[in-house]
Amino acid sequence: MTVKEFIAKFEQDVVFVPEGTLTRETVLDTLDDWDSMATVATIALVDENLGIQLNGDQLLSCKTVGDLIGLLNHQLED
Amino acid sequence: MIKSYIRDIEYYLPENVENNNVEDRLTDKIGIYSRPIALKNETASDLAVMAAEKLFLETKFNRQDVDFIIFCTQSPDYLLPTTACLIQSKLGIPSSCGAFDFNLGCSGYIYGLSLAKGLVETGSARHILLLTGDTYSKYTNENDRSVRVLFGDAATATLISGIEAQEDFIGPFVFGTDGQGANNLIVPAGGHKEPITEESKVEVEDQFGNIRSRANLYMNGPEIFNFTLREIPATIHRLLDISNKNLTEYDLFVFHQANKYMLEHLRKKLKLDVEKFPIDLGNYGNTVSSTIPIVLKNQLRQNRIEKNDLLMLVGFGVGYSWAGCNVRWNK
Repeated sequence: MTVKEFIAKFEQDVVFVPEGTLTRETVLDTLDDWDSMATVATIALVDENLGIQLNGDQLLSCKTVGDLIGLLNHQLED
Repeated sequence: MIKSYIRDIEYYLPENVENNNVEDRLTDKIGIYSRPIALKNETASDLAVMAAEKLFLETKFNRQDVDFIIFCTQSPDYLLPTTACLIQSKLGIPSSCGAFDFNLGCSGYIYGLSLAKGLVETGSARHILLLTGDTYSKYTNENDRSVRVLFGDAATATLISGIEAQEDFIGPFVFGTDGQGANNLIVPAGGHKEPITEESKVEVEDQFGNIRSRANLYMNGPEIFNFTLREIPATIHRLLDISNKNLTEYDLFVFHQANKYMLEHLRKKLKLDVEKFPIDLGNYGNTVSSTIPIVLKNQLRQNRIEKNDLLMLVGFGVGYSWAGCNVRWNK
């Protein structure tokens, strides 16, 4: 899965924003749908596409979309 | 040999209902539209008594023949005495019966079946009334969206009896426990570790705007989800191993109904058929140890379970505690 694909799925299935809305600088807290359900959805997204489990607390400490991608850096292709 | 089997199941839902907001995207994702909520003076034991009365009425089973009551609850009437004793009295079950409560949540029904099996197959009891009942609504803060929209109140009554047979109808079982997960689904104050003080009632807002006090239920959704993904597939494989079965031999998989989103994800991960995997919590929410028997009863009502069908029951959650078992339907 590429970084682009990840962001697209994140936009579509987790925070429900139009494709292309998010950048690495986007602050997660500014997104209406970034709530506890969204963190669960992110864990599901990563489990389904990369077969790995994200730590919930690490996830919650992410401030930006870039931080989130940073957690998955070794698993995503450019 | 005497083998235990599930004879009948009934459930009772409080009449008062809370609706989830249909305009909230979350509602569709979790698949919960309304939740029965007990009234202020309605306790889990009241709901359990109603479920049992329904069972006696529908099945015409003579309550004088019940010789054991097991009540699974995390919402007891009192710290002591045992709520099952009060239930014995309210139901008019002979005082020669045994009765006890046990404190488990989402894994509770399966543990209850294992206890009933033990009593029946050792000849210690003949007809077990296994009750589940909880009022988590009394623990959740109305302004905590992370839990309020998920949990419903309910009770169920299951009759387990014995019959002469060669093969198991209930079992084998696999169990799991991990106390490391304790803080991820907890009511922190109110027990002996943290007695109730004025401090306990102080409401605090979390990073998502949810409000709760130490006396309210707290759930770390992401961590619970991780726990489920980590332990449940492995547990199922253990069960398949010890029962020498493969997934295709099962007619129905009844998992604890936590929320639709997590169940769907699990189903896909395990590659289970949609038709064999009921998701049935739209009008109930997560009713803790009642979810599995409620699904079973609804499936029976829809004639979706036949004699000799092989069922897999899997419960998981608070504790962490989990369990799985096979049930060969015998009716």
